[in-house]
Amino acid sequence: MSSLIPNGPGRLPQAHAFAVGRAEQAEVEVRWRPSRQARRLLTLALAGLLLATLTRRPEFAGLAAPALLLLGGGHSKLPTRFLVRTRVASSQLYEGEIGAVDVTVDDTELDKRWMLQAGRGVEPASATGAGGAAARFEFTVPRWGRRQLGSVTLVLHDRWRLSEARAVLELPGVDCYPHPAMQRTRVVLSKLPNRLGEHAARVAGEGTEFTGVREYVPGDRQRAINWPATTRRGRLQVNTFAAERSQDIVLVVDATSDVGTPGSSALDLGLRGAAGAAQAYLDGRDRVGVICYQWGGARWLAPSLGRRQVYKIIDTMLSADAGWARGDAFNRLPRAALPPGSLVVVFSPLLDQRFVETLRDMRERGFALFVVDVLTAQPPARRTFTDAMTRRIWRMEQQAIRFSLRELGIPVVHWDGSEPLDLPLAPYTRRPLVTHR
Amino acid sequence: MTGPVRLGTAGVAGAAGPRLAAILLGAACVAWTAIPLRTTGLAGTALVVSIAAVTAGALRLALADVPQPEDEFFLAAPMRAWLTFLGLLRALPWEEIAVVAIVWLEVQHPARPWYTAALGAGLVAYLLAVHIAESGAPARLLRRQGKVLFAGACLVALGGGFGTLSAAGPGAGSALLRVLAAVAVVAAAALVLPGRD
Repeated sequence: MSSLIPNGPGRLPQAHAFAVGRAEQAEVEVRWRPSRQARRLLTLALAGLLLATLTRRPEFAGLAAPALLLLGGGHSKLPTRFLVRTRVASSQLYEGEIGAVDVTVDDTELDKRWMLQAGRGVEPASATGAGGAAARFEFTVPRWGRRQLGSVTLVLHDRWRLSEARAVLELPGVDCYPHPAMQRTRVVLSKLPNRLGEHAARVAGEGTEFTGVREYVPGDRQRAINWPATTRRGRLQVNTFAAERSQDIVLVVDATSDVGTPGSSALDLGLRGAAGAAQAYLDGRDRVGVICYQWGGARWLAPSLGRRQVYKIIDTMLSADAGWARGDAFNRLPRAALPPGSLVVVFSPLLDQRFVETLRDMRERGFALFVVDVLTAQPPARRTFTDAMTRRIWRMEQQAIRFSLRELGIPVVHWDGSEPLDLPLAPYTRRPLVTHR
Repeated sequence: MTGPVRLGTAGVAGAAGPRLAAILLGAACVAWTAIPLRTTGLAGTALVVSIAAVTAGALRLALADVPQPEDEFFLAAPMRAWLTFLGLLRALPWEEIAVVAIVWLEVQHPARPWYTAALGAGLVAYLLAVHIAESGAPARLLRRQGKVLFAGACLVALGGGFGTLSAAGPGAGSALLRVLAAVAVVAAAALVLPGRD
């Protein structure tokens, strides 16, 4: 599990490392019916016999003979109850990751065929052993969300394929997590809370980052003595180091405006960016929480440490897409979700004016804010004058919103989802982010 | 999109063979029955229906892997027409229609017993090929049914032989007697043969 929260290129946390597959077992009862093959043979036999009788031509009776022989081969007793097991390899996976469903039936005599009817938003990838007692279907989920996998149909035939029975097995749902954006660097506040961590603080401490040399005072460690400096100055000099602190990160995902092409919409990019940021900061031993903003309120998760926190954060974000009902307006974030002195990283297309007002309000309350603009769509370009003018006014409004936030001391960077998050964040990750109240 | 699981390259190649065989057998049956060509009256109708049914059955097999879109709202007219066409292909029993039309077309011709017997073998082969193509049944299915198919071929030949025999005497009664004899032989064979291996 050491690589549970990796952040390298092309690597994903192993969601199924903790989300073990769910196995279900059920006894299904089936009803046997004539198969299509039997109906066709019956049609041929009846047509031949009927026409032989009507036309008094015996060769048509011969024409019907093979079909009659195939049909009249006798009927053995066919079982009507079967034990079927379904097992989803992982109930949690990432966008584009291949998942699998294993299905088995306890019968070995009959001819079997499994068919996967994929649910909405689930793409079948491949099938193995679809004609045997055990089959494996692989699938992918291209877009995040809670998805129903669909159903698996078991088609049973007798040995001569004259009788057919079907059983439909509903498959459970899976949680598809947004593909985390790549982020290796972190924005670090200049003023960090007094809690042990990995970021070098401005105050002296017991960390590993060298900050300077000072004169020895009683009580200093002997191993901290800087002998070259002591020789030069003639008095004992000791090295000083920066304290190492952690910070509180609150990720805010604006789920009020989901614009753009599905798969690369503002909400898609927001969730992917937030997932990547959560991994990056949790790798740095920071406490990370999330607030998912939507119409009618917010869902939040208090900052915490640990490997599992990233999955709790994503779960919180995933549950946000269910609440699209327009409800009360909001203008303040819940206090419990926002520890004092935390860095608030916002992923938003900045289209909702009330959300922008909320950001201003937070800034006035003294929080250090950082906005990642995930807007990748704009009004369509048309030739008419009014359309062009509307588009231009819309662009100016967007620029004005971003300008006003920057004037309040809130950095705004644009991220298009295709590049690593490190690139737009680069100007702010090279040195600590200084915020003024 | 919902629909069958996509096949790999080997799967596509494996599925193409039986489909092609079914299509060719259907076309061969129609061509065999249509010669000599008679396009008037019931024969013409039966010929048109059989061609249409075999063609539709072939299209159904060829398009079996085309998935059905899950979102059918606000679709463009060509897409709606395409989906209706696909639904029609998959809803009607084209093979049954084709079999009835082909047999009816054969009735329109004057008696030619061996020709009809060969058609019977062709139709059974066509139906088996269609079944294998659409269900992906393994080739051992034919091996299981080999004995019965052989017996069926013998009976087809026997039916053809009955057809070539001249009636015992003038009148409709003797011809009917020949038919009843042939039907009795076929029924007896169906009852006597154990069928299952």
